[in-house]
Amino acid sequence: MAQATLSPTLAKQAHLRRERTRSLVYYVGVTLLAFIMVYPILWLFASSLKPSAEIWTTVSSLIPRTITWENYTNGWRGFGGISFTTFYMNSFIYAIVGTIGSVLSSAIVAYGFSRIRFFGRGFWFVCLLMTLMLPAQVTIIPQYIAFSKLQLLNTWWPLLLPKFFGGAFFIFMMMQFIRGIPKDLDEAAFIDGCGHAGIFFRIILPLIVPALITAAIFSFYWTWEDFLTPLVYMNKPNLYTVSLALRSFADPSAATDWGAVFAMSALSLIPVFILFVIFQRYLVEGISTSGLKG
Amino acid sequence: MPGRNNRLAVLVISLILMFVATQCGGGGSSTAQAPSQAPASGSQASATQAPSGGQAASQASSGAPVELRLTWWGSQDRHDRTIKAIQLFQQKHPNIHITYEFSSFNDYLTKLSTQAAGGALPDVMQMDYAWIAEWSQRGLLVPLDDYTKNGTINVSDVDPSNLNGGVVDGKLVAINLGSNSQNWVLDADAFKKAGVDLPKDDWTWDDFEKISTALHGKLGNWAHGMAIADNQLWKSLYLSQGAWAFAKDGTQLGYTDDKPLVDWLNMILRLQKAGAVMPHQEELASYANASPEQSPTVTSKADMEYFWSNQITSFWKAAGDNRNFVEMPLPRPTGGKSANYIKPGQFFSISSQSKHPQEAAMFIDFFTNDVEANQILGAERGVPISNKVRDAIKPQMGKSQQAMFDYVARVSKDAQPVPPADPPGATDVINNVYKPLIDQVLFEQLPPDQAAKQLRDQANAILAKNKK
Amino acid sequence: MATSGQTISDEARGVGRISTRPVSRRRRRNLNNLAGYLFISPWLIGFFLFTFLPMLASLYFAFTDYSILSPPRWVGLANFEQMFFHDPRYWKSVQATFYYVFAAVPLRLAFALVVAMLLNNYRPGVGIYRAAYYAPSVIGGSVAVAVMWRQIFGTQGVVNALTGFLGIPPVTWLGDPKTAIWTLIILAVWQFGSPMLIFLAGLKQIPKELYEAASMDGAHGWSQFLHITIPMLTPVILFNLVMQMISGFMVFTQAFIVTGGAPLDTTLFYALYLYQRAFVNFQMGYASAMAWVLLIVVALFTALVFRSSSAWVHYETEGD
Repeated sequence: MAQATLSPTLAKQAHLRRERTRSLVYYVGVTLLAFIMVYPILWLFASSLKPSAEIWTTVSSLIPRTITWENYTNGWRGFGGISFTTFYMNSFIYAIVGTIGSVLSSAIVAYGFSRIRFFGRGFWFVCLLMTLMLPAQVTIIPQYIAFSKLQLLNTWWPLLLPKFFGGAFFIFMMMQFIRGIPKDLDEAAFIDGCGHAGIFFRIILPLIVPALITAAIFSFYWTWEDFLTPLVYMNKPNLYTVSLALRSFADPSAATDWGAVFAMSALSLIPVFILFVIFQRYLVEGISTSGLKG
Repeated sequence: MPGRNNRLAVLVISLILMFVATQCGGGGSSTAQAPSQAPASGSQASATQAPSGGQAASQASSGAPVELRLTWWGSQDRHDRTIKAIQLFQQKHPNIHITYEFSSFNDYLTKLSTQAAGGALPDVMQMDYAWIAEWSQRGLLVPLDDYTKNGTINVSDVDPSNLNGGVVDGKLVAINLGSNSQNWVLDADAFKKAGVDLPKDDWTWDDFEKISTALHGKLGNWAHGMAIADNQLWKSLYLSQGAWAFAKDGTQLGYTDDKPLVDWLNMILRLQKAGAVMPHQEELASYANASPEQSPTVTSKADMEYFWSNQITSFWKAAGDNRNFVEMPLPRPTGGKSANYIKPGQFFSISSQSKHPQEAAMFIDFFTNDVEANQILGAERGVPISNKVRDAIKPQMGKSQQAMFDYVARVSKDAQPVPPADPPGATDVINNVYKPLIDQVLFEQLPPDQAAKQLRDQANAILAKNKK
Repeated sequence: MATSGQTISDEARGVGRISTRPVSRRRRRNLNNLAGYLFISPWLIGFFLFTFLPMLASLYFAFTDYSILSPPRWVGLANFEQMFFHDPRYWKSVQATFYYVFAAVPLRLAFALVVAMLLNNYRPGVGIYRAAYYAPSVIGGSVAVAVMWRQIFGTQGVVNALTGFLGIPPVTWLGDPKTAIWTLIILAVWQFGSPMLIFLAGLKQIPKELYEAASMDGAHGWSQFLHITIPMLTPVILFNLVMQMISGFMVFTQAFIVTGGAPLDTTLFYALYLYQRAFVNFQMGYASAMAWVLLIVVALFTALVFRSSSAWVHYETEGD
């Protein structure tokens, strides 16, 4: 940061010019690619603003001939008196509590796997990875039977409780980040008298903030998008989440209000986006280990 | 560094608080939609309305609060209508509180079968014709004969032909929610423009080929849109010759002559090669899972379309009231009789895991016979099976519903009796044998005669498991 | 050996504050075991509560005829026999899945890494670009994606409009057995946001001092990339590779919502076929058998990658 070495003015100007051209090339390229990336989203928003009659006739056009917000008001009304206010509330509970639970617990477990040598570690790590390899379709029924025996259907338990026991994906991800952290940091802390708990909270946790943020973004999005778990465990429409409600809109054999489907789909992206925009800043600022070393 | 973490913590905590707070507000609205369960004075009045008789009926009429669970699949329109009808039922029976769950068709079976495995099936379930035999044979459906005999489910206004579809092994296990028949929908305006005469009700597949060629020649678009080799058409092909795709005992295919199937597939291939019908490739590319709004006939890319008669309302709605469509029965093989039968669109069944079959039966009765309820439901599941209801609501229906009512009445005259419900393994045959083989035929990778033979061999191998 | 204070090995650490009194090797090991199990206990408890029993149950189902609707019936190896010798669709699904894994996974990872490098800087507005590039990954598997993807690759869609501009005749991308799977591969590559984000986080974690030191030694650009970025990123590359491979083998949503396995079963991915067997045909026994074969295959491939990792993954914590 603080190494402002002054170079001769001429060289500096040439350097600046070169820098500016590079910048221009960079921005043009990145913008073009970005347009391809967001085109489908623009399409979705454009379609959601078209009146029902226009949606399928001008399907490839990005600019609605007439703009209407009707689809949003119609869609928000939901089904039979249960509006999207309820669905959003449910989704927020599921995504926020679930994210906090899975990120924190995963970080603790990841530390155990990556920094402590204990008996059976390799075996349990293999088990951890195996849980990712079995398709959910075949474990969903035994799981359902267990929760129904416990009388926990239509409650938040089957959705939220498993989140507090860590997710294999996040655990493995954080393990890889922890293993990338130079060990002399822990050693220094150890000499200072820190135990594992101390090293984890004081050294490791602050250093893996980028990984925590990333995990939080994923976890939020995945729970936000998950419809299978709510589908199976939440049997009352006032417990439906946004993703589940969205799927209940359309049916291939019946009349479907596509305008409302698009409007609500578009709207459901916004919370995830906001979260991303807030949190990605922490990925910009970067983490420096220098402060800790001194 | 610590500063940044604190900010993050504050953010997270304030978010939680925010949503916990709003949830409390939202809680009010979600309970508000639950109708009053209080067994107040009204419940006594309703108890007298409830049909008496039957073993369990005496308990129901005492007015003790009962909670029923109901489930169905559909789109938003169906959800709204059904929920309104439920509210009407609850007004009439204040002691019965109905909780309901709905989903899209794609998710429905996942959910319902999981619940079946967990012993947590709802009391009343919307069922499809394809499933009832299997579900009934697994002991998951309550026989309804007692309830129809004692009048809990009043079927005095229902023609027996409208109930037969719900009979499995001699027992009535499901009540039809609306009658349907397969129909061929013709764009009358396109026919006029091309100068092609509309066919008669007894048109054959040969007529279909001629008409398609003529339409394509004049208009240049596809004469026919989607689903030209649908498995339902394969079954109906044999129906018009007095047989059915599956044998009565379900242990093998129900026909011995492959020729009608081979001829039919060859005709489709000829039309496809001539560009007269939508190529299979194009259908998969652009029309898989297409809803009525995207249908090629709605968008005038095709002139004819095949689907079930209850879909005409959403189809016509998507096309607009200014268009003119004519509904036709299925084309038949030359010399054959009608290929149509009256199919229950969907059913309601009572699950054997229900604790309140009596109240569940009362609800089915309400759905079948209550005129007001059927006005709300708007014949969206098909033509109501009660003659009384049908006559009462028909005048209030729109152009497309009236056309549907008339069409179903028209085909009923010479329709075939309802074929038996699909045997266990039929889904396996259709999804893992029929569809992959027909795909290969339409991609011209397998000649029709070989496909027909493989279909027979593979299907019989699966169905042989039904031998006892 | 470990008490020297300079080369403190893992074993030397116990739970809580270390006592100044020298501890015996056995006690140290016990302390480590205790600490290790304490740290992984959340996962371990969850594993036994929610995962282990359902996994055992599905293993049992694999040897039964279980229709979901009625109790399972033991059939021995019949499901496996049917699968390997009498089910042509099974082999088609295997073929489609391998094709997808070997095409989509490398492409997606490469794309994700390149974009992460591009966006790993401090230029103004870079946050907006990140959001834009992450956007497709957010729209996931909704009904809207299916409709949209069919529009884009439809006969009159944007892709044909572009290729038509170059003089290429229109193609029915999703209907042609040769091209359909590629539209799904492109869909997967387009949703490259999650590996990108992980790369980005990984890049952020590389200590700046390393680059500063390298610059002073005269290493720039490409050389820095090869000698600092890539080696330092290898743990994260390993993670992304393993995870993308596992999820590649289990790919489901794209085919489920866009193609349903068509045309000619060329996009009938393994997990999709498994789902159809389980919840459309109610053959949970067969589906469970399929699932366990999948698990073994994926486990083998994962083991292979891990084996190779000692040769190319660089950990700061050597010897671990």
